Amino acid sequence: MRLSGLVLRHFRNLGSQDLEFPPEGVALIGDNAQGKSNFLEAIYYLETFRSFRGARDEQLVGFGQEVFRVAGIASSSSPDHRRVAEVTAAFERKDGRKKVSVDGTEPERLGEALGRLAAVVFSPTDVDLVSGGPKERRRFLDMVLSLNEPGYLSALQEYKKILSRRNASLKEGYSGSVVMAWNQGLISSGSKVMWARKNWIEGGTQTFGDYYVRVSENARARMTYRPSVPSVGANSVDEIGEAIRGALADSSDRERRMGTTLVGPHRDEVRLHLERADDDLDLRDYGSGGQRRTAALALRLVEAWTIRKRRNETPLILLDDVFAELDQGRSERVLELMEEEEPGQVVLTAPKEADVKIKKDKLALWRISAGRITT
Amino acid sequence: MSVIKQLTDELSRLPGIGSKTALRLVHHLMKGSKEEAGQLSRAITKLIENIKICKECGNFSEDEFCEVCTNPARDRSVLCVVEEAYEVGAIERTGQYRGMFHVLGGRLSPLDGVGPEELNVAALLRRITESQGEIQEVIVATNASVEGEATAVFLEREIRSLGPCVTRLARGIPVGSDLEYVDGTTIAQALVGRREM
Repeated sequence: MRLSGLVLRHFRNLGSQDLEFPPEGVALIGDNAQGKSNFLEAIYYLETFRSFRGARDEQLVGFGQEVFRVAGIASSSSPDHRRVAEVTAAFERKDGRKKVSVDGTEPERLGEALGRLAAVVFSPTDVDLVSGGPKERRRFLDMVLSLNEPGYLSALQEYKKILSRRNASLKEGYSGSVVMAWNQGLISSGSKVMWARKNWIEGGTQTFGDYYVRVSENARARMTYRPSVPSVGANSVDEIGEAIRGALADSSDRERRMGTTLVGPHRDEVRLHLERADDDLDLRDYGSGGQRRTAALALRLVEAWTIRKRRNETPLILLDDVFAELDQGRSERVLELMEEEEPGQVVLTAPKEADVKIKKDKLALWRISAGRITT
Repeated sequence: MSVIKQLTDELSRLPGIGSKTALRLVHHLMKGSKEEAGQLSRAITKLIENIKICKECGNFSEDEFCEVCTNPARDRSVLCVVEEAYEVGAIERTGQYRGMFHVLGGRLSPLDGVGPEELNVAALLRRITESQGEIQEVIVATNASVEGEATAVFLEREIRSLGPCVTRLARGIPVGSDLEYVDGTTIAQALVGRREM
């Protein structure tokens, strides 16, 4: 996917600017705290309609302003359909209203407008995907699958809805038959979520390992699905459903005592390990800083791979000063890998021109100071 | 408070009426004759004074028992369970249903503190037991929301042990609509529920 134009209105400190993007991409150079990450955040907002940095929409509205608006014009990179889409997102602080439109029409559900840009962000905070708790990895899975797996988002939303009601029934001490009334819905939506996660992880672990070994040059890594429901050998949505049904029955006494639902995709974990001859090493618990950062990069590369495979699009790559924390050998190998795999458009940020190492002479050099971009 | 504002405020509390529509209605009433406005206000008063809840099914009624429950021509072997009384009207307007009704007065909603005790469930089960096998089928017509589904599952478990068969309204493509405009979840459900021709 290619971004050809971007309209910014009071997103964070970026003020009011209209920018045209060259096909190869842009390197945005600027000192710290000038708005480099804000710029990538604004672009990626058009992919998911939320901040990739976890900020609330109110925080994205420029100081002293009431509304922010971001609009992007994207054209497909696949040769068969060169359609152009204009994606617009606006948020009004006063009544907390978000308005999203694609080609001028508001979709009935926000979910329908997701993923139009086919972008992937690489950011220094990605290391949390590896070193953080299971929630971080679930959020990552949910994001990748919502954007790339049809039906995933609606199954996940339904699951969350039912889960909150079932938990309220447990917490308020309703009878077993009221609690069980939610099981059927929980099982049918939960099994879809788990099935998609299982397939993505099992289908992607090889690629993850390949990327990891290319960058680290010494060890292989892999990812494994560790669902809270024992479902070894489950080979269909229905079999996973049966596994959830059994696990719910087994844990019903404990659930009563704890007042909450104890099994299901909301308790899933993805383990990232380093392969070793004797025993695998869990990267979260035992990985070094460099190993964790490499694993996080590999996860993002798998995300980009998913977009190419599932959506038949070359993703737009957004790099937020990612090489600052990698040693030279690793960052050179990441760059090599990206050059090989990603002939698409790149938007990167860096403090100095000398830090621009990917697509070197092809990227347009822009500068940013106090939110103002000069092209 | 001016009388205009007072009536506007009252009207805008009604479902589907915002402050602008309320004001427009007020202006319309002001332009009309006293007689017309009197008729409206008397109709509202009469409604409130006369409407009761049917002791059998929970539907709205002007008497102790509603028109459906007292109609000897209705089929007493089928009972249709709905969430709200106004849904009885929706099914009645089809002209296709000749059975009886039971109004729950809501749906299971633990987040709002609504459990089986807050709903008209005990009366439903009593009705089925007391019919001594006359009620052979219970159609669960709760909404297709997550709460409506859970309510249906709950009722199915409670009712089946009492004897009647329990059925659920079918779901799928709305009549007269283009497939292109139907949302994915509905199409997926319609695919699952497809039938041989």
